[in-house]
Amino acid sequence: MKEKQIELIVQKVMEQLQAKFPSENRVDPVDKGLIFTERDWETSIPKPAFQEGAADLTASTPARIGVWRTGTRPLTKTMLKLQFDHAAAIDAVGGEVLENYLQEFELFTVETCYENKEVYLKRPDKGRVLTDAAVQTIKERCQHRPQAQIVVSDGLSASAVETNLKDVYPALLDSLKLSNLTCGTPFFVKGGRVACMDHIGEILEPEVLVLLIGERPGLVSASSMSAYMCYRPRKGIVESDRNVISNIHPLGTPPVEAGAHIGTVLQKMLEQKTSGVKLEL
Amino acid sequence: MKSSITLLNKTYQFRDLKDILAKANEEKSGDQLAGIAANDAQERLAARHLLSELTLSDIRNNPVLPPEEDEVSRLIEESINEKIYQSIANWTVSELRETLLSDNTTNIEISRIRRGLTSEMAAAAAKIMSNLDLIQAASKIEVVTQCNYPIGHKGTLAGRAQPNHPTDSIQGIKASLYEALSYGIGDAVIGINPVIDTAESVKQILQMTREEIDRFQIPTQNCVLAHVTTQMRAIKNGAPSDLLFQSLTGTEAGNKAFGISIDLLNEANELIQKEGTSHGPNLWYFETGQGSELSSDAHHDIDQVTLESRCYGLAKKYKPFIVNTVVGFIGPEYLYNSKQVIRAGLEDHFMGKLQGIPMGVDVCYTNHMKADQNDMENLAILLGSAGVNFLIGVPMADDCMLNYQSTSFHDIASVRSVLGLRPAPYFEKWLEKLGIFENGRLTERAGDPTIFI
Amino acid sequence: MSTVVIKSVGIDIGTSTSKFMMSELTLGRVSSNFSLPQFDIIQRKVTYVSEIISTPLKNEEEIDLPLLVSWLEKEYQQVGLTLSDIKSGAVIITGETAIKKNADALIHYLAERSGDFVVAIAGASLEAVLAGKGSGAARHSQSSRAAIANIDIGGGTANVVVFQQGKVLETITFHVGGRLIEMNSLGEVLTVSPSLKPWLFFKKFQVEKGMRLSLPKLVEITSALCGDLLDVLAGGKSISSLECLVHSTSCPALPRIHEVMVSGGVGRLAVEEPPATLEDVAKFNDIGPLLASELMKAVKRYHFTVVEAAQTSSATVIGAGTQTTKLSGATILIQPELLPLRNVPVVKAALTEMDFEEQIEQVFLKGKEWFEGNDHLPFAIGLGGTLYLSYVKLKEVADIIGELYAMNFPLAEVLAVVCENDMAKALGQALRLQTNYQVICIDQIGIEHGDYIDIGAPLNDELVPVVVKTLAFS
Repeated sequence: MKEKQIELIVQKVMEQLQAKFPSENRVDPVDKGLIFTERDWETSIPKPAFQEGAADLTASTPARIGVWRTGTRPLTKTMLKLQFDHAAAIDAVGGEVLENYLQEFELFTVETCYENKEVYLKRPDKGRVLTDAAVQTIKERCQHRPQAQIVVSDGLSASAVETNLKDVYPALLDSLKLSNLTCGTPFFVKGGRVACMDHIGEILEPEVLVLLIGERPGLVSASSMSAYMCYRPRKGIVESDRNVISNIHPLGTPPVEAGAHIGTVLQKMLEQKTSGVKLEL
Repeated sequence: MKSSITLLNKTYQFRDLKDILAKANEEKSGDQLAGIAANDAQERLAARHLLSELTLSDIRNNPVLPPEEDEVSRLIEESINEKIYQSIANWTVSELRETLLSDNTTNIEISRIRRGLTSEMAAAAAKIMSNLDLIQAASKIEVVTQCNYPIGHKGTLAGRAQPNHPTDSIQGIKASLYEALSYGIGDAVIGINPVIDTAESVKQILQMTREEIDRFQIPTQNCVLAHVTTQMRAIKNGAPSDLLFQSLTGTEAGNKAFGISIDLLNEANELIQKEGTSHGPNLWYFETGQGSELSSDAHHDIDQVTLESRCYGLAKKYKPFIVNTVVGFIGPEYLYNSKQVIRAGLEDHFMGKLQGIPMGVDVCYTNHMKADQNDMENLAILLGSAGVNFLIGVPMADDCMLNYQSTSFHDIASVRSVLGLRPAPYFEKWLEKLGIFENGRLTERAGDPTIFI
Repeated sequence: MSTVVIKSVGIDIGTSTSKFMMSELTLGRVSSNFSLPQFDIIQRKVTYVSEIISTPLKNEEEIDLPLLVSWLEKEYQQVGLTLSDIKSGAVIITGETAIKKNADALIHYLAERSGDFVVAIAGASLEAVLAGKGSGAARHSQSSRAAIANIDIGGGTANVVVFQQGKVLETITFHVGGRLIEMNSLGEVLTVSPSLKPWLFFKKFQVEKGMRLSLPKLVEITSALCGDLLDVLAGGKSISSLECLVHSTSCPALPRIHEVMVSGGVGRLAVEEPPATLEDVAKFNDIGPLLASELMKAVKRYHFTVVEAAQTSSATVIGAGTQTTKLSGATILIQPELLPLRNVPVVKAALTEMDFEEQIEQVFLKGKEWFEGNDHLPFAIGLGGTLYLSYVKLKEVADIIGELYAMNFPLAEVLAVVCENDMAKALGQALRLQTNYQVICIDQIGIEHGDYIDIGAPLNDELVPVVVKTLAFS
């Protein structure tokens, strides 16, 4: 990126020089196309009342402030950036995790009853239940009654899995090792909702279960992951029985730290034989 | 009560009033998820026809949720003025619609009619009204309320400054607040959704907003949108809060899932009257939104429009300063796309206003809904035309803490400009004094948050 | 735990006076229940400030330790404190006292006897910052565009810090203090501090022990002293042109300053009636009262707006008691039995795209040179840089640190790592799994090469108090 920016600057300087000193045998600069980085999207207040303070304000929040306006409307770049970030979020919801990515972590795939994306969005209840085939598969392939069970799911953001799993997952495995916890057979659930934990809990009866699942994409990050944790998950579990670490992505909760922390939480669940609001962290 | 109708030789049979009300709704994914929606478009119209012919007494006499079983039903039932009710009990829902839309019916007549209505009747009327009906009827109604300063006057549009921050950073919240004020937004309330729901944290944010309001003499009010019990603890610890906030649902069970009850609200009400920092008389801020009852399985098979209307029936008891429906926050399982969000926004605004509620709307969507910013801009203009009391102002419409998109400071300024609406009167004077606003328009100085440093 | 209140003390041993204060720091969780647990100090409340006593001296060069200790014990008793109640705090030796003979020994002696985690701090720059926070200047700057200089003048030095928008811009310390010339009511000079002599010589003032100075002469001297100080602050004279008056500075030239606040013992005197006679001047047997009145007179000649201090003579001790303790970041890895650790030197490496192994090796070599004597824990490794590390990279970093540490420090048993970025728990667990060391790994603490760090006993299993000291003790 840096090299490209330098090229762009050189190109601009050349253009200015050529405008100043038109020469007959001038060669048109090669058309490199437009390059946009985060900085190119930035707009600013042309004449702020307190110049030194403007940067402090924008640095203090990820909110889109100090963007200026034309009439009552935002400037073009600010508006297009917002639309661009929304586009990334839309694509994250519609996307799918590639099979060979999951194979890197030796995760096999099963599905919930979600059928397709539209049904998945309209019928959260269907994403909470595994298909009969899935039940069969995990019964055959997974260790029954493990101490800790790890499940991964795309949820509402396939890109969350692709962005974060490579850091969260090995950090989590090491944290289990350090806490002397043993781990069952991990797998991937396509079309999962948080409460699919309960159904899996019924089938495999783990002591503790952690579900790494893609969150509803935001505009700051379309690739944010949550880790839901529960002691003895089963049907009838309510939300307040689960613990969660959310906003896991490189610019939010650091994936490696989240992974490392999960082991500590699971260990406390085993010690206290409970989870959720009753768990003392 | 009639429960069947024949349209051109085809007969449609409905189970009860609840069934008719549900099936008369415009298509909503939430009603489908609950399994109570019409099976097809013609059944929907059959239900609507039938509903239009039912009388207001039919609706009162067939409670969707009996008062004996639910405290919200009880409260709505008890708030009816019997004399006024008797004078309109024989109206059909169709007559109610036509009366509301008639040239001869003004704000004053509507104020009288409202005393004889239940929330279910308001919902019934909404169901047989088109989008423009909802706008036309609502635009007649003026609901002016006052916390520190009054808002809601005809010809005005206020904005809530919502300067949220993902870690509640005081500096970060201040920065977004300055941006809001520089665009002339913040007359409804300076209201922050906290990440951390503790009394200490709430108190800190309230203190900061109070200091800023005092420092710049801003004619507005402050609020932190934590759970009401957290705010109560903060206020008891000396936090300066003008308003109390709480999210409401339309059933006792739904409210229980939110950790509240009428008893708790009464207790909170007493506290804010005694220990709040504003004279009022309106000291509450409520938020609602279609689908919240179903999400906690507290919907009793009642449709989401009717339940939403009941929220306003509950809200009314506490004479709120502002109420807004967070219309598209809940997700596609309740409102699937922009068409459903726009419809819900107009319905909620109308049903609230009809019941005398100072309605604002959080025109918003989440990224897994089939909607985008253009749809929000459409709805904002529609609501501006309908006379909405306030909209939500978020930097560039992107709330970096709640992770959803609403309307921006620019958007509110644009709606004001396009429709010729003004900020709340005292706030406009303040903006003029600051040189941000002149002759109903933003000046060159506007949009520069550093003027507040 | 959502909040917890800890008691923190401040002890300020100054050139002429000493103070003690007690405060309550409220630690609160500042992250939601959906995030990693992160804590911060959300409230600082001063609950007690002692009477100001004259610093007990054995002779001109030495502090009277037993007398000082018995005063402190009395203060503790009076507020009903036992040592185990005190969870944090700082002892600071300010002004010229720091160069007195037994200062180092004293400061550590006091720190270790003042509570579990009361640390020893010193340094003119730190002192200036603490005074500016204690006086209210830092807070004042948060709601103003102006750059404000807090001038804390005690017996030996004037410590100046410049804040803007709550942030420290620069610090500078002058040899300007009320006790630099001691005298009696006849105007007879009792002592002249060696640190003032270069400036007196430069300005051609004749001041010697035993001389008698008239009031006009004293006014002339103090007025010149204040004038030079203010000239430097206003930019009228460069720092380099007045080297003889400047003790130390963070920068070659100061930013533009709009407002000043005066704290310290002299700051307290500044609000009193100006002395009219030699007797008034010599109320404390020094030039303090005159310096104060001349400063207030002189400052009117400049463009500065004078802002009244919320705290004057107790500014530094309040700053020391309430502002020195920091908290580690969200999620750390500690072995509690190793804590507290006191006075651990820090060597720092930056995580960049550059060859990390080479960097660590160089840093370790430096550390070996300086701190080889500390065999159990030679130093703490500071990791700076903003690079986001993947877990693969992080494990590599752990391997490199482990191998090079073993190679260079065969006797070491403990590995202490202080990261600037939020990564300590992951790095800590990698170090535990990949090396044989006992590990302390904490994060979200800003550290510099050459700092010293104190790490307190854990407040819970994810939280330790930390004090970073920017001045090395000999």
